[in-house]
Amino acid sequence: MTVDVPAIIVSGVVLASLYAMMATGLALVWNTLGIFNFAHGIFMTLGAYIAWTISDEAGLGWGLAGGFAIAVATMIGGGLATYGLLVKPFQNRKDIVLVVVMTTLAGSFFLENTGRLIWGPRLKQLQRVVEGTVQPLGVSISAHELVIIISTPLILLALYAFLRWTRTGSAIRAIAQNQDSALLIGINVPRLYALSFALSAGLAGLAGALLGGIRFIVPNMGSEPLLKAFIVVIFGGLGSLGGTIVGAYVIGLIESTSTYFVGIYWTNAVMFAIFIFILIFRPTGLFGRN
Amino acid sequence: MAAMLLDIGGVEVGYGRTQVLRGVSIQVAEGTHIGLFGPNGHGKTTLLRTISGLIKPWRGEIRLRDELISDKAPREIVELGLIHVPQGNQLFREMTVLENLTLGAWTERARAKAKDNFERVYALFPRLAERRSQFARTLSGGERQMLSIAVGLMCEPRMLMLDEPSLGLAPKLKDEVAEAIGRIAKTGVPFILVDQDIEFLMGLTDQLYMIDHGEVVLEFASGQALDHRQIMEMYFGTV
Repeated sequence: MTVDVPAIIVSGVVLASLYAMMATGLALVWNTLGIFNFAHGIFMTLGAYIAWTISDEAGLGWGLAGGFAIAVATMIGGGLATYGLLVKPFQNRKDIVLVVVMTTLAGSFFLENTGRLIWGPRLKQLQRVVEGTVQPLGVSISAHELVIIISTPLILLALYAFLRWTRTGSAIRAIAQNQDSALLIGINVPRLYALSFALSAGLAGLAGALLGGIRFIVPNMGSEPLLKAFIVVIFGGLGSLGGTIVGAYVIGLIESTSTYFVGIYWTNAVMFAIFIFILIFRPTGLFGRN
Repeated sequence: MAAMLLDIGGVEVGYGRTQVLRGVSIQVAEGTHIGLFGPNGHGKTTLLRTISGLIKPWRGEIRLRDELISDKAPREIVELGLIHVPQGNQLFREMTVLENLTLGAWTERARAKAKDNFERVYALFPRLAERRSQFARTLSGGERQMLSIAVGLMCEPRMLMLDEPSLGLAPKLKDEVAEAIGRIAKTGVPFILVDQDIEFLMGLTDQLYMIDHGEVVLEFASGQALDHRQIMEMYFGTV
């Protein structure tokens, strides 16, 4: 049997790109606010649906660029609303982590079913950003996938530059490292919490719009990537954005390899086995600190 | 009577249902330096956290130059120039000394003075200038303490609150920190200094308050001579 290595790598890197975008947002919120946002997956779903409604001929037909822009902008607003309604009211509680699991899960179910009401059960698919296939390095790959593969590192690099070199970005890192000290030098912590949430939701919306070009858009399309994003964040190491990104590519490639050799039904089992095995030896994940 | 710089009136506060402060009243006049001491866990840090707005008082009020601050957010209190340097090297550990200091000048008021303040803190703590590109977590305990104070100075304080700056320091470093605080006092920035070490406080402050079981139990001028027995009595009751 010949092994189609390029195909495995391409599909692994495409998956990895989407996981990286999802997981980075999840990790940004975790690092800054110390909570896990279970509504993160629904941002992805809604991003895809909104991009479809705006761009598709069956919807408003305003073109793909408009679809992407409005999807991301709406999700940024959705992130702000989610923070304001489901997180902020509980932030003074000691059991905030658990409470927010409940509130964001509830919000996520609510939005998922609202989406089902609005868009119905029929499968939808977004136009591709670029049609056709290209053959870089002699490997045949759809142009849309190539766009995903190339744009993801650029987007993450922009996020890194923002966090590393801007005043606001370094204030977000400061909050992640020491919330009290951030308050005591006069940083408006609640506002930057909201900003982190908005950035994270915007990234998820973008990931959804990109995924909508290669998979069908269904009301629960975000749940699988959300689960993977959780695995990626823990696997890469809590508290390390770099670790999250590396983790995303490792998980994506493991998934595509396993899908090729073991088949799609056993792939989650294989992934969890590897995940648990690695956590036994590195309980804080690949790049996590205690 | 002229308005007090800081007027703490009957402050009661606690965590959950546990009351920590039971009606603390302290007045700080312009240009003075006061010290707080007393056993651990009796409310000194809680008092500072209440003043800086990290926790809201249950009862009582706090005024800065007649302006009510006990209902303000920490950010607003920092903007007024009341700066709290917290206990135990609370820094941004994964950032360099320079990044920590730069963040200290966060408010617009502080940013306008950032250039002068950099010179000021580097003159006060030359060691920080040497270590400016080092991560905060790699500093020694004494250096981290210096950095904490320096970050407070970058905030362009009109008044400082220093929580146990000598905590866990070797005698030589303690002297170094004391000297730096003495120099800050000379520049005319009023402060509240919290420490366990009464001798450390006596040399740096005008007025001392002992806090025990969430109340001010004793107040005296720092110049007043105290012997060792009296200090022991303050901490442990009659020996």
